[in-house]
Amino acid sequence: MSELVLRDAPPPVATIGRPETYLNDGQTIRSWLFTTDHKRIGVLYLISITFFFIIGAIAAGLIRLALVVPDGSILTNDIYNKLFTLHGVIMVWFFLVPSIPNVLGNFLLPIMIGAKDVAFPRLNLLSWYIFMGAAVFELFVLIAGGVDTGWTFYTPLSTIYSNSWVIPAVLGVIVVGFSSILTGVNFITTVHTMRAPGMTWFRMPLFVWSMYATSLILVLATPVLTMAMVLLFYERAFGIGVFDPGAGGDPVMFQHLFWFYSHPVVYVMVLPGMGVMSELVTAFAYKRVFGYTFIAYSSMAIAAIGFFVWGHHMFFNGISEYSGMSFSLLSFAVAVPSAIKVYNWAATIHKGEIRLATPMLYAMGWIALFVVGGITGLFLASLGIDAHVHDTYFVVAHFHYIMVGATVLAFLGGIHYWWPKITGKMYPEFWGRVSALFMFVGFNMTFAPQFVLGYLGMPRRYHTYPPQFQFLNILSSAGATVLAAAYLFPLAYLLWSIRYGRDAPPNPWDARGLEWTIPSPPPPHNFEEVPVVDFEPYDYPNRIPEA
Amino acid sequence: MPDGVGIELAEQFSSARQQKETGELGMWVFLLTELMLFSTLFVSALILRMLHPGAVTAAALHLKMWIGGLNTAVLITSSFFMSLAIELSRAGRTSPMRLCMVVTAGLGVLFLCLKGYEYYRDYAEHMTPFFAWRPYGLLGDPASRLFVDLYYVITSLHAVHLTIGIGLVMTMQHLARAPGFLSRHANRIAITGLYWHFIDLIWIIVYPTLYVLNR
Ligand SMILES: [Cu+2]
Repeated sequence: MSELVLRDAPPPVATIGRPETYLNDGQTIRSWLFTTDHKRIGVLYLISITFFFIIGAIAAGLIRLALVVPDGSILTNDIYNKLFTLHGVIMVWFFLVPSIPNVLGNFLLPIMIGAKDVAFPRLNLLSWYIFMGAAVFELFVLIAGGVDTGWTFYTPLSTIYSNSWVIPAVLGVIVVGFSSILTGVNFITTVHTMRAPGMTWFRMPLFVWSMYATSLILVLATPVLTMAMVLLFYERAFGIGVFDPGAGGDPVMFQHLFWFYSHPVVYVMVLPGMGVMSELVTAFAYKRVFGYTFIAYSSMAIAAIGFFVWGHHMFFNGISEYSGMSFSLLSFAVAVPSAIKVYNWAATIHKGEIRLATPMLYAMGWIALFVVGGITGLFLASLGIDAHVHDTYFVVAHFHYIMVGATVLAFLGGIHYWWPKITGKMYPEFWGRVSALFMFVGFNMTFAPQFVLGYLGMPRRYHTYPPQFQFLNILSSAGATVLAAAYLFPLAYLLWSIRYGRDAPPNPWDARGLEWTIPSPPPPHNFEEVPVVDFEPYDYPNRIPEA
Repeated sequence: MPDGVGIELAEQFSSARQQKETGELGMWVFLLTELMLFSTLFVSALILRMLHPGAVTAAALHLKMWIGGLNTAVLITSSFFMSLAIELSRAGRTSPMRLCMVVTAGLGVLFLCLKGYEYYRDYAEHMTPFFAWRPYGLLGDPASRLFVDLYYVITSLHAVHLTIGIGLVMTMQHLARAPGFLSRHANRIAITGLYWHFIDLIWIIVYPTLYVLNR
């Protein structure tokens, strides 16, 4: 390169100009909206899901506001129902499911396996457009007056009794599913065929393994939800009563189809978080990951067993005692691979050279919250305890520990970890740590009281409650404001850092992995030349720190 | 590969072989999704049969088994011609390949015509319970309506897929007119063929599930 410059003697400004990165390779709006670069599509998703997160969070804030008083005098019943439905639909399909896969996965997966792009770049862009198309339906519902069935769209409420905008909401869910499916198809194919020379299956970063397992779930489970929603649509629009007992149908069948998707989709939310965790823990313990193959296979085991536990959502909705027992047993079984991962991370951190930077703080918080969320999941998988806490705030607290505790913390941890790579800028470390701390405290303050509330018998989705529950509800709502601050901090300082942050070096964390061998931000085609992988994953030195 | 058959390398790939494998694998994974989509309906139909065997049999006796059977034969024949087209594409023989693809699509259209005629007969026999204004032929157990409705849902979803397939095959044979098409995009014929065979396979499941099993 330098020889060439000398011989051709271009004007000196050209040689000291900014290096070509994916960010300055065309700066028009058009160059973004018609891009097929997986990194830019990741950024497009980041912007879109942040927008939906804000909508979903506002709805959650209003719910917590309404629950400050026991008599329901702040919001009407109707608005309350619409708010929690909106919160659920937006957060599940427009934030949690696409969060890590479509943002970090899109950005990192090809780089991590040494590819120039995903297998089908145009399909990747199409997936974003479908996502935005689905969003139009949900935004229409939001503006037109909402939907009040809960995110589960249970029949016959959704088909016969609800007078709200069920049809557009259901259509939005159907459409957004195609976006998930296309991403899943793309990722599976990419992992199979786009790996660089030397990048064998067991040299892939564990994040890639988790993306692979996630994609399998997306491809196999999403179409079942699509069809369930199509049948729901037919039933509401044309009276084809597959779920209507009056017409010979069966409402429990809707629940089976719904949870056949919606339990595995919990792992679509959690597995990517686990993948991020494996990266964070090794980088900040500066140590080889403990039990690589166990973590890789446990991702696949979770994806596989996750398909056979859906009945634990329906223990008391008309399934037989024996299928209840089987689903209970299988739900216990799926906890095993999850626990394997947690133990492996703990062993990785053990005697590592631990650096408590922001991403590591999120990772530590993640482990704590996931353990609580996971163990309370076992409570719920036990038939006897579930009889007591089914449909109470105990369930709400449990799945928020998993979905917010595990997914959002991993997402934020990952965003901080890879922010220098994505934007080429460093964020202010001090504020990063403060917000991670706020996050942990605020989250526990919001949701820990809900375990108690649920155990004491406060049902979920109710707008009023007996006055003796008010103290815990106020505590929970107060925690929600701390949590809101913990979300607003990163939003502010990360945006600030894009303009004012210090330039990031290629490898600010001294971490391993192909993504840290290329400049920050990466050039348009990731690698100058196709990398040849001749190293094992996470080849940290494994030094024993001095006592 | 013979002369004049090959693949124009897209930006993200490093070899033609990689590109070919990627395209085919991508289609296979997509078809897996499609299979799950249809499976949901098959399971619904089978559960309905378990819940209401009498009503389902009564309704199924009104399905035109001979049209369904004829259509099965039509689609299997079309798949044969599609396979032939793929073989010819690998040999680089554009014109007979295009002919085979036109025959494939033509048999697809024949299927749709037969299906349309079947729908017409159903309509004439008052087997259209989803039309609120038209009396329904089978009184008694409402579950028979549900079965007939499901029959329409399943067969129309299949017909939509088949229509897409016909469009795809015709587009491909049209593009293949351009000189040197097979030297640039030989793999596209095989990928189109995968999709076509899949539609055929779905019908081969639809036919016993709806027509044969419930008699
Ligand atoms: Cu579950």
